[in-house]
Amino acid sequence: MTHATETLILGLLAGGVYALLASGLTLIFGVMGIINVAQGALLVLAGLLTFELWRRLGLDPIAAAVVTTPLMFAVGWAIYRLFVARIRTAPVSMGVLLMFALAITIEGAMGLVWKNVFRSVTPGYFSQSFHLGALFFPKAQVFGCLAAAVVLAGLWLLLTRTWAGRAIRAASQNPQGSALVGVDIRGVAALTFAIGVATTGAGGSILSVLYTLFPASHYLWISRLLGIVVLGGMGSLPGAVTGALILGVAEAFTATYVSTRWATVVFYVVILAILLVRPQGLMGSRLRGDVVT
Amino acid sequence: MKGVTGLRRAAIALGGLALVAYPLVRLDDAYGQSVLIFAFLLAVMAGGWNIMAGFTGYVSIGQSAFLGIGAYTVALLSLRTGLSPLLLAPVGGVAAALVAAVLGATVMRAREHAFVIITIALLFLFQTLALNLEGITGGSNGLTLPLPTWDRDIQNLPFYYAMLALLALSVLLSWWIRRTKFGMGLIAIREDEDKAAAIGVRTPAYKVLSFVASAVLIGVAGGVYAYFLTFIDPRGMFDILASVQLVLAALVGGRGTIWGPVLGAFAVVPLNEVTNNLAAAEGLHLFAFGLALGAVVMFLPHGLIPTVQAWWERRHERQVPWERRRPATTVERAATAAEPGRALLEVDGLAKRFGGVAAVDVCSFAVREGGLTGLIGPNGSGKTTTFNLVTGMVRCDSGSIRFDGRRVDRMLPWERAHLGLGRTFQVTRLFPRMTVLENLVAPLRRFSWPNLAADAVGGPEAQRAEELLDLVGLLPLAAHPAGQLSFGQQKLAELAQVLMLEPRLVLLDEPAGGVNPGMIQRIAELILELNRRGITFLIVEHNMPMVLELCDPILVMARGRVIAEGPPGAIQRDPVVLDAYLGEGWGTTSAPVEV
Repeated sequence: MTHATETLILGLLAGGVYALLASGLTLIFGVMGIINVAQGALLVLAGLLTFELWRRLGLDPIAAAVVTTPLMFAVGWAIYRLFVARIRTAPVSMGVLLMFALAITIEGAMGLVWKNVFRSVTPGYFSQSFHLGALFFPKAQVFGCLAAAVVLAGLWLLLTRTWAGRAIRAASQNPQGSALVGVDIRGVAALTFAIGVATTGAGGSILSVLYTLFPASHYLWISRLLGIVVLGGMGSLPGAVTGALILGVAEAFTATYVSTRWATVVFYVVILAILLVRPQGLMGSRLRGDVVT
Repeated sequence: MKGVTGLRRAAIALGGLALVAYPLVRLDDAYGQSVLIFAFLLAVMAGGWNIMAGFTGYVSIGQSAFLGIGAYTVALLSLRTGLSPLLLAPVGGVAAALVAAVLGATVMRAREHAFVIITIALLFLFQTLALNLEGITGGSNGLTLPLPTWDRDIQNLPFYYAMLALLALSVLLSWWIRRTKFGMGLIAIREDEDKAAAIGVRTPAYKVLSFVASAVLIGVAGGVYAYFLTFIDPRGMFDILASVQLVLAALVGGRGTIWGPVLGAFAVVPLNEVTNNLAAAEGLHLFAFGLALGAVVMFLPHGLIPTVQAWWERRHERQVPWERRRPATTVERAATAAEPGRALLEVDGLAKRFGGVAAVDVCSFAVREGGLTGLIGPNGSGKTTTFNLVTGMVRCDSGSIRFDGRRVDRMLPWERAHLGLGRTFQVTRLFPRMTVLENLVAPLRRFSWPNLAADAVGGPEAQRAEELLDLVGLLPLAAHPAGQLSFGQQKLAELAQVLMLEPRLVLLDEPAGGVNPGMIQRIAELILELNRRGITFLIVEHNMPMVLELCDPILVMARGRVIAEGPPGAIQRDPVVLDAYLGEGWGTTSAPVEV
């Protein structure tokens, strides 16, 4: 029983981090209709940058989010201006292929800079745990989840309490309508994309303490994130949080009671099952598709 | 144009001959042969991807999964049975086709976004299975196949010719698909899937078949390639980089063309060789291919062949002899409209809600056979939603729809089309990149397997299409892409397209909307003419003079239900109708509606 409780809480802690990681993906999809399959590669990139900050400057990896978040915001802005904005009128499939190309390019660049070596960030608390009765929780896992919750709360406030956030939500629901009432759609799209990518900054920093990083691991991450977003409902932020918690727990139980090697299969199976049975996910809304726009 | 075709044929024949002769001339050039073997493999994979992504419009980025499925199937069978992998290679194709069929059948509901995600998940799922099922696949240690039994001097030749044969087959398959009814259906799905269903294309069957066609040869090639490598492992066989390369090849050459994937494969292989040999670091390889794919998506999205074609056509533009003339009215007026008979379409208690909005709210009406029934009502009264419910593009929540006495409300759109229920759209939905003639032969009266293999344009159908084009006065534009027609011409072409279904009832959604007055007159005459020939019409229209002149009876919808029905004169004076259009209080003046 203790074992199961510990697994459950560890799963929730991992799910909290996943929620932050998936928030950017779902935000970008919700507003722009783009599946940013490069999100995983950007995440690993931010993690490796954190690794350098920690190794060279001795910066605490989770605190490094203060540096990596604005940095990835700028990267996101640049990606939007240089690439995404230029193919806005192209079919959806071309957008996916472009982001796919970006993911491969980033993976290649990371391989050139950091080689195909496993990197892990090991601050002082890396191997320490909190004790709660008979239960043990790694400190890194707890700190990571807390940091993710803080950033997510910030993102939520930004989206619901500011004009920029309102413009983003308006644009996600009706781009043409928003343009008519004075929302600068292109500016909003750039901002959304930049914010979405900025989440990989904080996310990657938190990730670096919890998981080993290597260039090709971005496939694993994008698979996890797609599973979460599909389960929660593509484009829904509360859905992403719910999906992340559910899948975090499901993965933890599979890893504990079956095998770590089968844990990732959970995400692939969820993707296939959800898209077949309930394509709109748990919290996505099924909108009428018959209106000519 | 003839000279160009001849030139192209000569180039293809010459290229084919050179590839056949190459290993015989340079027998010792093992390196050159293996580079070419890889080029052929890439062309086969790109060709497969092109059937799904180029023809049908569903982009997959996990296509290389079928290579792994073929390779593992053949390797495992060969190790168990001792048979040569070359003999077993077709079984690899069967395995790939089976997986594609199962997957295709399950992803039928998935559209663009979902499909892409599913293909990624598929690739990694199979990779993980190959890694984890160690007892069967050897896990990350991979599988070693027996060495070829033939003379070492000709080591590569059987692989070379087997792969070249597969390449030839792949081109033939694409060419054959493109010229059949099947291929026409796929293109229709790519251009507008809902519209394709509305004109009788049984879209799920087409999608599954195209998925199978795109996988089968890749599976066979996987078996041959596994033997060529003599060693396979999960990361090498379910490799995302292979997906990048095949997508790049198909895009560079030209998505949706027949030779594009082949041309693209030969363009991509040098990049592969250069980056492979330049540096040991795998990073450079990925970096180069990522950049190349990104550059092609951004700067050459249509690919080489279509870009060159478009340039050539711009240089050699041909003027179409265009004469303004009225549609042919061949049938004499003596044949008066048949007396409206029994109810052909009966709608009873139909309802559809979108969230809190009741778009259609317990709507009941009947359309009599042989009549010209009008359906009017203020904007938002539910006319178009009613059309969508009747044709099956949207499913109703409750109520029943009977067509010719049969319940159709649970039928799928193409099934209703096969019964003779056709429609046009408020904003025309022709397939813009098909020619006008192709648009006309795309509708299907029924689904049959042999018919899939029939010529896309030809036979009595093509003749009938030309007659209909002549009737609507568009014959001179038959060879033009439909997207280039004016809006009014598109309305006429779409009407002709629906007529190809030999429909008994046609629903016209604002046939005169956004069309110039001269064209409105032509369209009205055409509707009368077709009605005289026995087609029943239900017409949604805001042009009141046209409705009042053309239709009898007229149905009036408001707030999702039919509130009045009657001949034009009565409808014009009906206080309930005036209320609906002009608001409460207007009914008392009982002035005729003049809109």
